Amino acid sequence: MKTTANIFKRHSYREIWLRAEALLALALILEVILFTLYGRRFSTWDNWMNILRHSAEIGLLAVALTPVIWTGGIDLSVGSTLGLSAVAFGQLWRDAGMDPWLAGVASVGVGTICGAINGALIVWIRIPPLIVTLGTYSLFRGFAEALAKGVDTFTGFPEGFLWIGSGQWLGIPVQIWIFSCVALMYVTADWKTVLGRNWKAIGCSEQAAYLSGINIQKYVFSAYLMAGTVAGIAAITYSSRLGSIKADAGFGYELLAITAVGLGGVRLSGGKGSVLGATLGVLALGILNNGLGRTPLTMNYSSELGGVLTGALLIGAIALSVRRGSP
Amino acid sequence: MKKTVHEISVAVTLLLLLGAMAIWTPSFYDPQPLLSRTTSAVPKMMIAVGVSLALVTRHIDISTGSMLAICCSVMGMISQTGHGWTLTWAAGIGVGMALGAVNGALIAGLGLPSIIVTLAMMFALREGVRLWTQGVFINLKPNAQWFGLEMVSAQWAIVVAGLSLTLAVVWSSRFLTVGRYFYLIGSDPESAFEAGLPVRRITFMSFVLNGTLVGLAAGLTVAQAPQVDPGIGQGLELEMIAAAVVGGIAVNGGRGRLWGVMVGMALLVCIAPALTYMGVAAYWEKAIQGVIILAAVSAEGIRKSGTQISIGNLD
Repeated sequence: MKTTANIFKRHSYREIWLRAEALLALALILEVILFTLYGRRFSTWDNWMNILRHSAEIGLLAVALTPVIWTGGIDLSVGSTLGLSAVAFGQLWRDAGMDPWLAGVASVGVGTICGAINGALIVWIRIPPLIVTLGTYSLFRGFAEALAKGVDTFTGFPEGFLWIGSGQWLGIPVQIWIFSCVALMYVTADWKTVLGRNWKAIGCSEQAAYLSGINIQKYVFSAYLMAGTVAGIAAITYSSRLGSIKADAGFGYELLAITAVGLGGVRLSGGKGSVLGATLGVLALGILNNGLGRTPLTMNYSSELGGVLTGALLIGAIALSVRRGSP
Repeated sequence: MKKTVHEISVAVTLLLLLGAMAIWTPSFYDPQPLLSRTTSAVPKMMIAVGVSLALVTRHIDISTGSMLAICCSVMGMISQTGHGWTLTWAAGIGVGMALGAVNGALIAGLGLPSIIVTLAMMFALREGVRLWTQGVFINLKPNAQWFGLEMVSAQWAIVVAGLSLTLAVVWSSRFLTVGRYFYLIGSDPESAFEAGLPVRRITFMSFVLNGTLVGLAAGLTVAQAPQVDPGIGQGLELEMIAAAVVGGIAVNGGRGRLWGVMVGMALLVCIAPALTYMGVAAYWEKAIQGVIILAAVSAEGIRKSGTQISIGNLD
């Protein structure tokens, strides 16, 4: 059923493009055409930047989840990690009086520690990823709530910090630059280094990867560690965009990010898919929600319809790719 | 004995917690609040057992929270328009069954991965219910709450009905042939197929059963309040899986006892009141829940380590 052979083939990327991502790109183009025709002020520069700005956090999480899912694992705790990092940032900046930039670096560190905890439990105690991250999903969110005493809200950040979430550089929102850097890093890891290949090999067949001398523990651990770091970065852009932090920051983001990854043609049982696909998945979700809100017919029900359509789209995409024999 | 070490240690933990509360906070055992807490926990226990059956067959269901919201809203709407209990319950259970059948058809029929199907269902149903009700609470007729009975007797009825249904499922999973089929399929689907089991039909059945249990749980939930909150069940899906895991169900299928899940669920629902009675701030609940989940599975992991290479796959 699972074949290790085809991921080592030279033209494998073209094959994958022909399957899931091409379909998704088609759906994306369709979305854009429909919303441009029927939506109000949909295809304007400002609105495009708006869509990208609001997709940044889900995008960061989705890109970081991709390698985790490649290895055949899953990380349900990224939303909670985002919440814990954000609350840690708020406390370090406001209560400990730290410089906001220093606090930002520290909160990315908090995210990294969260990722390391996930990775350590999965790799060394050998608990299935679904369970570990389900546990830390509660644990990290619980710590965020306990740190914020349930109701505390952090707000009134300095101008310079708010620039990350609402400012622009060369006409493009700052968080898009951040997202692009992270995504580029993952794409490079996928296409140009041994990392991507080994991650996927582990997901295809752990036994085979082990027997061919891949250090499974190292690669699996690194995927979770990096997911934690990126969730910490997403915490910064999130707090800066909203201008306030509560303990529920990023609640439910993990499932949105997994949806985007699945939509982007990454096989959720591991071994297949691309970072670009996951990014396209995020874009598809972002455009859908924004476009529905700008079309007079659906304006009042945009978020609800968006959810229903997301579900339908996800099942449709997977059903089509199953018929073509890909997942 | 050796095989039930996990379940027994969870049960002992629960007993220790209950014992500690008996000594330091005897007011936990005041009959009326205790009965009310038990009543609200019973529907959750039913759903947790259903989800565990899906896990046993090597699948997963994360759409239960949204299914519960739909079933409750349907029952609320029907009961509001003045129809009797028969139609209300039939509709609630029917809708639960139908949703379970949709899950089952996509997973067993088309062979789609269960995590994606139920993830999509979770979104679609949750937003569907919001689209339909616009989040407005559905007020029931005055005599609808507690089945028109006195509160205490209705609570006893709910507890007895819910627990006996749950126990019936637990018993069947252990002592009926069809119950063992779930385990056979979960531990090795290919061997089960080679042995001539109707793998697809039984997988389908496990999702239908799960949906039915959600429908029944919805009935027992609706009866507890004067109105239905269409936002009910948010985050329930992961709580159910947590209960299953604490109760000793293996997420890669085929192992675990359903009575353990009942104990696991009981342990998880005891945390919040225990914290309150012991004077710990309630916002620690989630963190402690997380610690319990991780402790329960780490013990298992350490015991088994060295016997396998696998880091664990989802499918």
